[in-house]
Amino acid sequence: MNEFYIPFGPQHPALIEPVHIKLKVDGEKIVDSELVLGYNHKGIEKSFENRWWAKGMYLSERVCGICGHYHTSCFAQGVENLLDLEIPERAKYIRVIIGEIERIHSHMLALGIVAYELGLDTLFHYIFRDRELAMETQELLTGNRVHFVMNVIGGVRKDIETKYFNLVEKNMERLDNRLHEYLKIFKTDTAIRKRITHIGYLSRRKAKELTPVGPNIRASGIKYDVRESGYLVYDNLGFKAVTGEGGDVLERCVVRIKECLESVRLIEDALVKIPKGEISKSVPLLLKIPEGRETVSRVEAPRGELIYYLKSAGDKPYRVKIRTPTYQTFTIINEILRGYEIPDVPVIIASLDPCLSCTDRLTIVDLNTERERVVSGDDIRRRETL
Amino acid sequence: MIDFVVYTLIFPGFASAFFAGFIYYGILRKVTAHMQHRIGPPVWQPFLDFVKLLAKENITPDDSTGFVMTLCPIVSFASLMTVLVFIPFNGYALVSFSGSILIVIYLLVMASAFIAIAGFATGNPFGKIGSVRELTQLIAYEFPFIVSLLTIGFLTNFKVSPFVALQFPFAFVAFVAGMQGKFSLPPFHIPEAEQEIVAGPFTEYSGPRLAMFELAKAASFWVLISLGSVMFMGASNIFAFFINSFVLLFAVMVMRAVFARLRIQQAFRLYWFVIAPLAIIDFVRVLTGLYW
Repeated sequence: MNEFYIPFGPQHPALIEPVHIKLKVDGEKIVDSELVLGYNHKGIEKSFENRWWAKGMYLSERVCGICGHYHTSCFAQGVENLLDLEIPERAKYIRVIIGEIERIHSHMLALGIVAYELGLDTLFHYIFRDRELAMETQELLTGNRVHFVMNVIGGVRKDIETKYFNLVEKNMERLDNRLHEYLKIFKTDTAIRKRITHIGYLSRRKAKELTPVGPNIRASGIKYDVRESGYLVYDNLGFKAVTGEGGDVLERCVVRIKECLESVRLIEDALVKIPKGEISKSVPLLLKIPEGRETVSRVEAPRGELIYYLKSAGDKPYRVKIRTPTYQTFTIINEILRGYEIPDVPVIIASLDPCLSCTDRLTIVDLNTERERVVSGDDIRRRETL
Repeated sequence: MIDFVVYTLIFPGFASAFFAGFIYYGILRKVTAHMQHRIGPPVWQPFLDFVKLLAKENITPDDSTGFVMTLCPIVSFASLMTVLVFIPFNGYALVSFSGSILIVIYLLVMASAFIAIAGFATGNPFGKIGSVRELTQLIAYEFPFIVSLLTIGFLTNFKVSPFVALQFPFAFVAFVAGMQGKFSLPPFHIPEAEQEIVAGPFTEYSGPRLAMFELAKAASFWVLISLGSVMFMGASNIFAFFINSFVLLFAVMVMRAVFARLRIQQAFRLYWFVIAPLAIIDFVRVLTGLYW
């Protein structure tokens, strides 16, 4: 059969994300792939420049629907760096607790989608049913299921109430049981293993070269987790990064489940250790930050390292640059698709857990379509191309 | 004469295939939904879908062959309906002669082959890949399926007639696996894998033509499950027939709920190296008379 192109996206039942991957196939085998981006430009980075610092918080929450808390955490952390402000201990704990619950629901969403791409609807529905436990916990503690706007500059908006701790612990216990069940299913079920072992393999060497972040790089055996640096209170909680060795789809799923288990442990630990006290430092609504001061703030979002670069122009930012984790995923898509077959494509892409709507922007379109410049690993590491 | 009309138009002919097929499909969806911890659509949802599709626009893409696109669902449906005249419901078949199993096999292949032709006729890359997969899968499941039918055929003079295949469990397994392949249900929903190739051969289909394919699919539920419940589970009266049918339907549901989609090579390997040898064991037992 001749080689021909198969479009994957931007409207595709498998991946509900505005990305277009041109697959050059020979029969069922993928010869080459080309990533076409730019279907979703929200102009958020520019909008930051017209808002006060405090209003930027609401905007950064809207960068992503799934990891909104991490975006506000990162932005707030950056602004606090600029102000040399240390937030109260209780606020740090609350940020960690809410963030880890969000990580659980994000990872479970990714796992559910992998199950769905495998054509195993039952597992998909089960995982999403249990994901509700995490969602309910979020609602219990913050009042919202998504976009819970917990962060403000200088702390958190709302205290979490001690009377709910029992319920949260009960939910976490149930989640723990269910996650162990899913770990068993992914590791032992023949039908699943047949489809996802040795598929989408990313070797340790290639991972080092192309630098994806988050569970994708940790599944290839590289221990890279911002939480290891112990920001907020992760060092008090004794956080241990999860790594895997396989580097294939199965390993990425297993790493995600194990991270969820680690998150459950962190939450249970944090609920015990959380100190009493104030939840935020009062800062003026109209913040003034000396012009030209700049900072880089990073947190470990569910999908990996999230970086905010902030530069001040007085009462507004001069520039806000967001490096979302999915941006680093683009570098490896071609590498891990080539040589596999059409049935593997949705599974591989789902296992990377891409979140296009936070990542897509205009500059990348220029690179790929107009100038066709090759983005080398070094460029990306230095973040010059953005 | 009145017999003929009732048989072809009402039971087990057109009307039965229409209603029972859609109801089977509705039950399948509803029960699978409950297995998956969700509520699922009402049992009559396939009817509503069918009626809705009939009212929709018929779109013919530029690259396609409209005539073939129209013909395929009709031939597919017609060949499935023709199978019904050979199946004895309540102990009586309209046409019954020695060798009718061979015609049944031929007609069932036609039904699947025309789905593949439909995919090629649409000119869509997803359709083409779906068709290639449909044909590959046809080659994969047809061999054990035919062997299992012939195993029973040797004992019934190659006539479709009630037979209890208790002594031939492997042939029955091969039949159910082949049936699942013909339905394109998990783990063999490879030609229509929506996550990979949208809808496979049906990608460009819309409106009444798609409705005809839905009807053919419903008819295939009615025909194949009836065939299984008569030929392998020995339904000689209408009561036993429906009980057997629901047992078979339940087997299909469980398989649909618990299996992930295989890759096409894996499906091929499963059919030829696991299921076909099983079917051959029973076939050899029939030939050598090693049964009791």
